[in-house]
Amino acid sequence: MITEVKDPSIETHNLTVVYNKKPAIWNIDFTLPKGQIIGIMGPNGSGKSTLLKSIMGIVDPNIGYVRIFDETLDEVRDRVSYVPQRQSVDWDFPASVYDVVAMGRYARKGMFKRLNKADHEVILECLDKVNLLPYQNRQISQLSGGQQQRVFLARALTQEADVYLMDEPLVGVDASTEQSIITLLKQMKSEGKTILVVHHDLHTASDYFDWLVLLNTRLVASGPFSEVFAEDILKDTYGGQLTTLSKIASLLKEKSFPMRHK
Amino acid sequence: MNDLWIISTAILVATSSAILGSFLIMRKMAMIGDAISHAVLPGIVIAYFVTQNRTGFPVLMGAAASGLIVTSFIQFFNRRVRLQMDASIGISYTFLFALGIILISYFGSNVDLDQECVLYGEIAYVPLDQLMIGDTLIGPRQFWILLINLVLVVSAVFIAYRRLVLTSFDEGFATSAGISVVFWQYYLMGGVSLTTVVSFESVGAILVIAFLVGPAATAYLLTDQFKRMIFLAIGTGISASILGYYLAVVTNASIAGAIATVIGIQFMLAFAVYRNKHKWRDSKHAPYDSPVKVEPE
Repeated sequence: MITEVKDPSIETHNLTVVYNKKPAIWNIDFTLPKGQIIGIMGPNGSGKSTLLKSIMGIVDPNIGYVRIFDETLDEVRDRVSYVPQRQSVDWDFPASVYDVVAMGRYARKGMFKRLNKADHEVILECLDKVNLLPYQNRQISQLSGGQQQRVFLARALTQEADVYLMDEPLVGVDASTEQSIITLLKQMKSEGKTILVVHHDLHTASDYFDWLVLLNTRLVASGPFSEVFAEDILKDTYGGQLTTLSKIASLLKEKSFPMRHK
Repeated sequence: MNDLWIISTAILVATSSAILGSFLIMRKMAMIGDAISHAVLPGIVIAYFVTQNRTGFPVLMGAAASGLIVTSFIQFFNRRVRLQMDASIGISYTFLFALGIILISYFGSNVDLDQECVLYGEIAYVPLDQLMIGDTLIGPRQFWILLINLVLVVSAVFIAYRRLVLTSFDEGFATSAGISVVFWQYYLMGGVSLTTVVSFESVGAILVIAFLVGPAATAYLLTDQFKRMIFLAIGTGISASILGYYLAVVTNASIAGAIATVIGIQFMLAFAVYRNKHKWRDSKHAPYDSPVKVEPE
């Protein structure tokens, strides 16, 4: 079930990435809408991160190409921002919260340009958006998982992009941080931003996403959430993984008999 | 006067190495200096065999070429073959060093060169090889070469400081912003190669490695700010050079050995300070997946 959109934010064509003769993603071909929160889900090792990395040019696809706003990545790099997995960096690096968030700003600048007053204001504003303003001078090694994640989000926010690609921004964060991140994403969406989120938790997916991409090395489905989040498609995606399948069953049951407080 | 030349030569190596070493440690590539300083051997042997001159420019070029080769081997194994960084370093330099040893034993009869001088150098002989302008001696050749190297390293790092920090901290994010991680890696490796190559002749491969890793590791324990870490590493390296020289004079021991010993002692002292500061914790910082005590938000 693959729904195509006109005037897409991101489109990929035959995108294929192979590691050591083993495909990580295979022939991914989709178009994604603008101004929505898009979930990318699939079992472990289904290529979710690789898909994001190949869109961002961090991994070179063996075959296929990506268009963002109908242009190549290099032409629109200023409009795209990437939030890597939190565990991908060494948080013992001697730097403060402010230092890391400022990286988002100076990554876009020429080598010889210093940050000006406007840049500093943007950095402080973004720190405030993720409630880290009081922590700006704290060493990043002394942050909790949720705070680290918010540092990464603030760094991406300073880039003032139109499309945000986030690799598992909700992993290992506590419930209240998860809620505040989702609130932030929804606010960004209301400003017209497009947000791709790699996500694990099927339970919460229906509350978060407008559009869903299901991946299992191949593209299983891409479409409006309510159409894609169906038993047969999920089984197709997670096939064979019994625990996940039973989870899906109970989820769908919940969905058809909504609890009173919902 | 000779003391002064020896100490200042050591200080020049210490300063360049401390700056580069701080980046290497944060990139978990501290042993790259080890790799380059050993891997230069085949280049030196071939250049020496061709020119029959042990100190000339061709030898420097041969060494630099080998340094470049080992760097690209490491890059290739790490990025293309997806071998871990430490394993890539290990396999690359032992191979090239062994190649150098075979070349020495093959040409052994007609080459006045041994691996000892490559590994240990002899800083005490630095003042013997003086440069002359007109009729006046202007100081040891090594001193001037190392001074030029230091100026190059400082300006290269100053120009690219933020790019180097960004690519050291977060490769994925840097790439996503259109910054070439591989380019900056080679840029840094170029500095390390050059420093190692011009330093090993005077101070020896072992002391170069000690200067690259030791002071930066000591500084890492003492601060949480990267800029401060670089300056602390420089200070640590300089003081090790001075203390090490006088330790060698007092004990009548090898200068390079004494300096490397002081570097080790400095690290242990820093570790003691750090344990004292962080004694309620097992590691430098609590790992991020365990509960961390922070003020309520």
